Amino acid sequence: MKNFNTILFLAFIGTFLMSCQETVELDIKDFEQQVVVEGLITNSDLNFIKLSKSREFYDSGASEKVTNATVVVTVNGEDNVFVHNPDADPLLNGVYLPPAGFTPVIGNTYHLSAIVDGEEYEAEEILLPVTTIDSLTVRLDEEEIQEPEVEGRFYEVLFYAQEPQDRIDHYLFKFYRNDSIVKDSNEDIYFSEDKFLGEEIDELPIASYYAIGDTVKVEMYSLTRESYVYYADIFNLINSDGGMFSPPPANPRNNISNDGLGFFQVSAIDTETIIVEDSGN
Amino acid sequence: MRKIIMLTLFLMGITGLINAQEKFTLNGYVKDAQNGEELLNVTVYIDEIQNGVISNSYGFYSITLPAGQYTVHYSFIGFKKFTQKVDLNKDIELNISLDVESSQLEEVVVTGEKEDKNIQSVQMSVNTIDIAQIKKLPSLFGEPGIIKTIQMMPGVISAGEGTSSFFVRGGSADQNLILIDEAPVYDPSHLFGLFSVFNADIIKDAELYKGGIPARYGGRLSSILDVRTRDGNNKKFQGDASIGLLATGIALEGPIKKDKSSYLFSARRSYVDVFARAANQDNLVYFYDINAKLNWRANNKNRFFLSLYTGRDSFEIADSFGFNWGNKTATFRWNHLFNDKLFSNTSLIASNFNYGLELTDPAQGFLWDSSIEEFTFKEDLNYFLTPRFELDFGYHLTYRRFAPGKIAPSDGSIFKENELQHEYALDHALYVGAKQQLSDKLSVTYGVRLSIFQNIGNSNVYLYEDPQDNISPTRTDTLSFGSFEPIKTYVNIEPRASVRYIVNPVTSIKLSYNRMIQNTHLISSGTIPLPFNTWAPSSYYLKPQVADQVAFGFFKNFKDNMYELSAETYYKTFENVTDFADNAQIFFNDDLSTEYRQGISEAYGLELMLKKNKGDLNGFVSYTISRADRTIEGVNLGRTFVANHDRRHSFNVIATYDYTDKWTFGGSFTYGTGKPTTIPSGSYQWGDGYIPDVITERNGYRLDAFHRMDLSATLTPRKNKGRKWQSNWVFALYNAYSRKNPFTLYTQVAQTDDGDIIGDGTVKEAKMIYLFPILPSITYNIKF
Repeated sequence: MKNFNTILFLAFIGTFLMSCQETVELDIKDFEQQVVVEGLITNSDLNFIKLSKSREFYDSGASEKVTNATVVVTVNGEDNVFVHNPDADPLLNGVYLPPAGFTPVIGNTYHLSAIVDGEEYEAEEILLPVTTIDSLTVRLDEEEIQEPEVEGRFYEVLFYAQEPQDRIDHYLFKFYRNDSIVKDSNEDIYFSEDKFLGEEIDELPIASYYAIGDTVKVEMYSLTRESYVYYADIFNLINSDGGMFSPPPANPRNNISNDGLGFFQVSAIDTETIIVEDSGN
Repeated sequence: MRKIIMLTLFLMGITGLINAQEKFTLNGYVKDAQNGEELLNVTVYIDEIQNGVISNSYGFYSITLPAGQYTVHYSFIGFKKFTQKVDLNKDIELNISLDVESSQLEEVVVTGEKEDKNIQSVQMSVNTIDIAQIKKLPSLFGEPGIIKTIQMMPGVISAGEGTSSFFVRGGSADQNLILIDEAPVYDPSHLFGLFSVFNADIIKDAELYKGGIPARYGGRLSSILDVRTRDGNNKKFQGDASIGLLATGIALEGPIKKDKSSYLFSARRSYVDVFARAANQDNLVYFYDINAKLNWRANNKNRFFLSLYTGRDSFEIADSFGFNWGNKTATFRWNHLFNDKLFSNTSLIASNFNYGLELTDPAQGFLWDSSIEEFTFKEDLNYFLTPRFELDFGYHLTYRRFAPGKIAPSDGSIFKENELQHEYALDHALYVGAKQQLSDKLSVTYGVRLSIFQNIGNSNVYLYEDPQDNISPTRTDTLSFGSFEPIKTYVNIEPRASVRYIVNPVTSIKLSYNRMIQNTHLISSGTIPLPFNTWAPSSYYLKPQVADQVAFGFFKNFKDNMYELSAETYYKTFENVTDFADNAQIFFNDDLSTEYRQGISEAYGLELMLKKNKGDLNGFVSYTISRADRTIEGVNLGRTFVANHDRRHSFNVIATYDYTDKWTFGGSFTYGTGKPTTIPSGSYQWGDGYIPDVITERNGYRLDAFHRMDLSATLTPRKNKGRKWQSNWVFALYNAYSRKNPFTLYTQVAQTDDGDIIGDGTVKEAKMIYLFPILPSITYNIKF
């Protein structure tokens, strides 16, 4: 599921986990606060724009949210005003939701305008199609059952799809166990370009292991080239070894204007769910 | 009548004078009496003309003088001076064998230096590696470190632990040309820099040129490390074995036909993997290398040499991931004397560096490999015109093939087969250099190297809407070139010049200028080249890198050449330094040229060194203060940044002490300013629990200073004297006070070593990696 390049990257960085490490305090200067945009537009009912601010390196807790911005998504000349937290849900601070009847479709271009404290941040992306997930199956992992990291969790979920060889695609994957995001490690992102992929994607295990009764959901998003590059850059940044073997850390290339951080992602989405049952093998 | 007699006498006188002006040549080879090895850089000094010559890289000397009687002295450190009276009334071939100085019969001491060579020689900015001294120094796991010693020389900075890479005078690690018997070695590390590809047991001579580089060398911007192996004892059979905690080596040599031909064979292998496999440990790493040499002195005018090297490193993690890499080289040489003054060396050289990466996984398995191969023809000539004028000139032609990468998926893998296109190059060089003594005090060397580099087909060049768009490169056209069809030709002239002025017999000053061109570029954006980085030739999009260096030096010897002081300062400017755009994707990128960013670099520094050559306590102290920075459009937003390889201060001490006949102690200490690194100025939250850093400035922060002390003790049992089998024990302590030297620094969300998040997952921390704590070792060496 990982990008070919990320496999290479991690494999080599992984070798240095056999060395010794210790935590050090950094003497950091020159912090200047910036606006962070996390936007997602999909051809399903998953649409939001989240706005927050960056903070000092050693700050903790949730980052500062922007609650009074003007957020508009324009498509085909039509403005759609996104409203901040319409139901005053404490968990949705800084989240702007679309108006009723906002239904994105494949082929359209979406333009974001977010005005925060008098400054405008803009971005634009097209909604590209995504192929479908053929199916998911469950398989018992012989090794994991011997010593499961979490008791009961020793089933793998396998993914099947046909990758279209006649067009250029980029993908992002998200996995959920009972509606919670699942990652093998905190800094993992599952994304890929199709340059190295063959047509048959068979029996590809998704992240982590699952227990009987778990509801496993796989989401597959289409990415534009720019989105793929952003995810690749973010992945390199959060997995960087400081520039010894990996390239020196750098800010990801993004599509937000006016020095805004983050990304405005527009995707088609395909979802598949399976409940883990003992198939008797 | 008287007039006729006068005229006849006069004519006879003139003829006599003409006869007296007739010149003859004295030439030959100087060898080690014990094993027949030719000695490089032996001084051949003639009292009557107060001048002399130095034997060349193959041990050959030639001196042309008017007929007469001469007293010739042959001298070389570690050997007894030899004097011969010569009646030069015809061309004479005189081959000399020098005896080792009796106090050091246990070890062949090959230092390659005349006592006051640093004052006399016009060559500046060169460090000669004392092989015998290296063997007394603390070494990691008993392996004498040629690269480790080089990293202590002034102007040379170690790239750190985990690698054998080094930086010379503000140049990055890829700007050093490392040669073994004239063949290039692309990665000199074994076992993450714990060992190097150079086996000290078989090295004859190693010279590192940092500046004032002679015209016969080229191809890299910052240094040439010219390592030559021994030929093999052509008098009797000899063996050396070295058994250590991590690796074992054996070297065997001997005559095939006494005094005429000999062989040298050596092999080393590490075996920690054998124990690890037995202990069911998952991570395995090992290396091996083999050197073989054959030489044949057909007659006095022709000698033939064949040297071969192959080495490999292999690293496996838990049966699922492995990678291996290695160099293979072969050199065939023919030394030929055209006449007494014209020495020729013809070499045919082949070199291959390749690596492979394998991921064993049912769904995502693949094998990736890549290589670079080159074949070279070299013709080098040395013309010893007069003792005051020597010419060297030649032609080098290299064919290079670059195979940057091929993926072969394993059965059932989701990946499909893919290969990056190959690139080819033809590299021509023509050079001429002269060494001229203008007066008793003033000598010069000057020369020029003409570099004609061609990037050739069979390959395609892609044209882009924007050649620097590395997000979504859009090709507008593809130009196809057939086999050997020139795609791009770069012609460059590299002038070289040095001047030496002798102030008095123990003091001299030197000045040099050189221009170097580099047409082979390392595709890597980290500080240290990974074993699996690739190289690329200058091409349609990649221009040759250029470096201009001016250096000035002051040299003084004290107490009868016991102490040598040198002070050198240099200034270098670089053009077209190859770097990569921020966020460059350098692995497996069909449009890699869109990531190239070439810019300028500037470096300058002051190097000081004090060396003690004689007595029981030997060694040197060196200190370098320097700066190197780069300015490249597309990197760090086009702002000037401190280069990855900049280390403001570098201080090194190496000392060996011959305490008694039994015990020798060695020690080294190194101190360097910390490596520049990029740290965040803040962070933000984005996506599903990701907390990326905000990066404001590249290399704006320094890691803590790097310092380390190594100690060793060598015990030679008294019973060695006179015995056929001789042995010694080496006890060494690497990183004697267990300093945690920062290797790199990275940030992450605060978590335990197992990956469990600490706290609520919103706090970030910085982690420093350090590689080696204190490491003791014992090695047992036998000589038979």
